[in-house]
Amino acid sequence: MKREILISKWLDNDLNDQDLEAFKNLEDYDDLVKLSNNVKAFKADDYNASEELDRALKTIRENTTTHWFKPAVRVAAILAVCFSLYYYTTTLDTTISTDVAQKTTIELPDASIVSLNAKTVLSYNKKSWKDERDVELNGEAFFKVAKGSSFNVKTTSGTVTVYGTQFNVKQRNHYFEVICYEGIVGVTYNSQLTKLKAGDSFLIIDGKLIAKEKEASSTPSWLNNESQFKSLPYKEVLSEFERQYKVTFKLENIDINQLFTGSFAHNNIDIALKSITLPLHLTFSKTNNTVILKRE
Amino acid sequence: MGKQLHDTICEESIFSSIFNKHSKDLHNFLYYKFGELLNPKDKVQEAFIKLWQNCSKISPDKAKSFLFTTANNLMLNEIAHQKVVLKHQQTKPKTYTNENPEFLMQEDEYMQKLQKALSNLTEAQRVAFLMNRIEGKRFKEIAELLNISTKAVEKRIYGALEKLRKDIKEL
Repeated sequence: MKREILISKWLDNDLNDQDLEAFKNLEDYDDLVKLSNNVKAFKADDYNASEELDRALKTIRENTTTHWFKPAVRVAAILAVCFSLYYYTTTLDTTISTDVAQKTTIELPDASIVSLNAKTVLSYNKKSWKDERDVELNGEAFFKVAKGSSFNVKTTSGTVTVYGTQFNVKQRNHYFEVICYEGIVGVTYNSQLTKLKAGDSFLIIDGKLIAKEKEASSTPSWLNNESQFKSLPYKEVLSEFERQYKVTFKLENIDINQLFTGSFAHNNIDIALKSITLPLHLTFSKTNNTVILKRE
Repeated sequence: MGKQLHDTICEESIFSSIFNKHSKDLHNFLYYKFGELLNPKDKVQEAFIKLWQNCSKISPDKAKSFLFTTANNLMLNEIAHQKVVLKHQQTKPKTYTNENPEFLMQEDEYMQKLQKALSNLTEAQRVAFLMNRIEGKRFKEIAELLNISTKAVEKRIYGALEKLRKDIKEL
């Protein structure tokens, strides 16, 4: 019989007497037996089935008492996540922003209406609106406030408080202007309160209070796509221009603090450029989005 | 239907009988495959607890393969396939009383070679071979445990034997 078959039979404990004789006569019989005997030393650790069963049953009994607990914890966790997500999203401030050359009008939860001029960010909280009507403003906006509790417009320069009225707030770099068109507006600037009646305005440039005459119109000019200026530094005119048209100015030999009175329209850049340069005897040249201003 | 309902593993007596029937084989299988470092006893416990937790979904005749697969996976989760080195009992039954030092040294050397050769086997070879040689299981029993054919078991065991002998000679 072939050696391989003999060994296999030996391994499977399947040798009959005749096979056993043949197997014993194999030349590597001694080697095989030695290997087989020595391998036995690698026996697995003792395993006591009944002891292990007791251990398993003990664990199972401990676990079953807490079985109901696990799903309950899961449900609670999901609810907690949902609730916090809901809470987070509802208490989040609502933010509206406009880009260069963009205007928009929105309605606040109490039907007050706010028009935003170009490059302006306005945010308010829907959740706490009932308790306090607070909006944060960075830029320029016109408010038509519905009657109700006090209405606050917070800017980095100061706070404007209203009691049902129409007013315009303009807060730009070093520039803070409030014009009241109807009703009464209170302006807190450097913790000092100033009350504005219809037609009054409040203007701060570079930290200095500037007196202005009564406002005759009933709405700010920008709502009619026009920017008006009365004795304002030329730099304010230029930065407002940059906000309405996507352009940047390059100035050559020009006094930016010179006072300017006039206006420009928001819908035609060529006419608008003429209206801000001609009165000051300036010339302009326009390439792409850059406008170079020169003295004549 | 009624009979099947009765025959669930959720019954503690049935669970216990399954435990008594398979736990030792499962333990030895894990031991020979992965060594003792990874606590084969604990993995057996875990596998049976998992069986209990899923008792309503598993019929008793599927329990064995569930246990072997689960325990195997539990082990695989823990190891990054490091080499398995089985330890051998230090207190080897002494058959000769008048062993001379040289013979003892040779014996010791042989055991070390054997240990190394065993760790060089594939997991499948080692499990089948040691179950056969140490636990005295016949090919058919091993085939049933591992869910493979008798022929495959024979091939593994014979292959393991040949490889061991070759390794021991070379080492």
